[in-house]
Amino acid sequence: MNKVLAFLTCMLPLVYCVSAQAQEIPTAGQPPIVQDQSKLPHVVIVSMGGTIASRAKDRMNLTHYGDGPPVDPKDWLHDLPELQNVARVTTEDMRSKGGDKFGDIARVAHRLNELAKDPTIDGFVVTHGTNTMAEVAFYMNLVVNTDKPIVFVGSQRPWSGISGDGPLNMYDAVRVAADPDAKGLGVLHCMNQNINAARDVTKTSAYRVETFKGLDVGSLGFADPDKVKFYRAPVRKHTTESEFAGTDLKELPPVELFYSYTDAPGYVIDAAVQHGAKGLVIDGYGAGVPSPSQAKAMTRAQAKGVIIVITTRTRGGRVQEVPARAKAHDVNGDNLPPEKARLLLQLALTKTHDWTKIQQYFNTY
Amino acid sequence: MLNPFVSRLARNGLMALLIACAAVSADAQELPKVRIFATGGTISGYASDRDLQYAYKAGSIPPDKLLADLPEAAKVADLSYEEIAETGSGGINTQILLKLAKQINAWLARPDTAGAVVTHGTATMEETTYFLNLVIHSDKPVVVVGAMRPFTSISRDGPFNLYNAIRVAADPEARKNGVMILLNEEIQAARDVTKTNTERVNTFDTRDLGPIGFADEDRIVFYRRLLYRHTYKSEFDVDNLTDLPKVDICYGYQEGDRACIDGVVAAGAKGVVLDDSSPGNRAAVKDARTKGVVFAQSDRKGSGRVLNSPNDVASGVVTADNLNAQKSRMLLRLALTKTSDPKEIQRMFEEY
Repeated sequence: MNKVLAFLTCMLPLVYCVSAQAQEIPTAGQPPIVQDQSKLPHVVIVSMGGTIASRAKDRMNLTHYGDGPPVDPKDWLHDLPELQNVARVTTEDMRSKGGDKFGDIARVAHRLNELAKDPTIDGFVVTHGTNTMAEVAFYMNLVVNTDKPIVFVGSQRPWSGISGDGPLNMYDAVRVAADPDAKGLGVLHCMNQNINAARDVTKTSAYRVETFKGLDVGSLGFADPDKVKFYRAPVRKHTTESEFAGTDLKELPPVELFYSYTDAPGYVIDAAVQHGAKGLVIDGYGAGVPSPSQAKAMTRAQAKGVIIVITTRTRGGRVQEVPARAKAHDVNGDNLPPEKARLLLQLALTKTHDWTKIQQYFNTY
Repeated sequence: MLNPFVSRLARNGLMALLIACAAVSADAQELPKVRIFATGGTISGYASDRDLQYAYKAGSIPPDKLLADLPEAAKVADLSYEEIAETGSGGINTQILLKLAKQINAWLARPDTAGAVVTHGTATMEETTYFLNLVIHSDKPVVVVGAMRPFTSISRDGPFNLYNAIRVAADPEARKNGVMILLNEEIQAARDVTKTNTERVNTFDTRDLGPIGFADEDRIVFYRRLLYRHTYKSEFDVDNLTDLPKVDICYGYQEGDRACIDGVVAAGAKGVVLDDSSPGNRAAVKDARTKGVVFAQSDRKGSGRVLNSPNDVASGVVTADNLNAQKSRMLLRLALTKTSDPKEIQRMFEEY
């Protein structure tokens, strides 16, 4: 017993030393790595950055990181040699310089469409910051023409953070991307061991690791330690069935969104139309109701040919078809959150300006 | 001048009235044939006073009265009914389950029928529903419905639930979804739904996987299809059975001894569901295995899977995936009509 204790004590500084770069990932107990990888699926990790690609100098810094060196995509492979037992993993560095621009999303959509045609590739993992990852995943769900798994992953804590969720999320995302059962389910999202559908997943908590949920309709399955298991498939159209599959647009028609609240003014809606907005998403209260001033501005906008989609700020339940909305030519946003309704409306406006046809898109995607 | 929202609402109401009038005149001959299989429950519960929400007698209102109370349903479907039982959840037994399954199978086998609705108490509704999900041979919709407040109560939820259940059972888009539970406008999958609250109308919830769709006023919408085997793809068949193997449940807790397992095995159980672990389980399981008793390991937390462990299967304990104990019991009973090989039963727990 004493000998064991003495051994462990002398090992402690060593372990710390070896893991200096990614100090929060234990280096002890790494499993043996398979020598022949030729039979394993080929998964490409596309880095769009995010918290999972960030470090802080101090491991207790979980909120304002970025002062440490950014994570190069190769660092994930170095820190997680276990990935080599799951798949042949290669990386693509598509981190943006300016952050959060549609150009970055378009670039990655183009690249995914290109890589998806490569018969030697079986699946994709895309890292992204968690704040807007759900809508970016939804965009890919509409425009990438493949039945190969595309799994969005991120983390709530930086790669350097204490009890970081990044390593397990990355490991699970690669397992899902390598899993034949994940084919044909549309773009997926995997964090906190839950597999969600791109259309339905939403970030629900600023800092907790269980932040992503399929609000109305739950998860599709789980990335559990024993196996990846799916229970559900999405009904709404996606990827190969999507009318937008293969779309390679560098920009989209301008669409702005507005939140409804007591006394929400109409003049900001007028301003958006003056600035050239071709569509508006109104995140109405309750069943999808704008404020009275917004309702008047909506009518003014429609007179100029602007298409309006109504969502509900309740983040649960559908905006239903009611005669008053049909009469007003307002499009029901179904149960999409406004940021996703905006992207679908932008894509729809590249095809038509007929509100009844746009309603069909919202009924089927 | 009315503000735009109020005038929108006024138009809405007028339109709803027009639609309702049009629907009354629809020809019942052309409507989809839906049959109500009544077993009782709170949805047909009677209390002497309308404020009595718990002191009532379940299964007191016969199905013809339920339908007479809901003339709107006759616009949605060509309705008929069969009375299977007049009981609450606690009175449902193997004989009622088998009769219910056989009668529904006979009804759905007719080419001219669209679907079935089952009225049932809510307390054990989830396991009856899952049982039906395993033994109904049709892809036509079967919708199990109930209520949290009796027929006689103020703000009773039963009529609207029954109306929506009939709408779903009459909807061709609801086919291939297995047996569903409908309360509170939510369409839940038999395998995954559970009752989560003793009193509230939103009691049915599918914790990990969510509902598969909604019976909204404008239309019925489905967002999910199921990836596991059920109904028309199931290998189980009770049409020629008169009884099912006895399977009981032993709950796991601190200092739980072997008495539960020993007791149910002595009483004739061919299978036991272990809902989480008691320290006394190991020795009792070992002894019961010599008598061929098969065990299924579920988990009392009500969310997440029991992970697969090859050691468990070898020792005669199959893992129940994320099925809860009462549903694991139903699957184990049906599995035991086919085999007592734990490996084969493990396959069934992974596929259904």
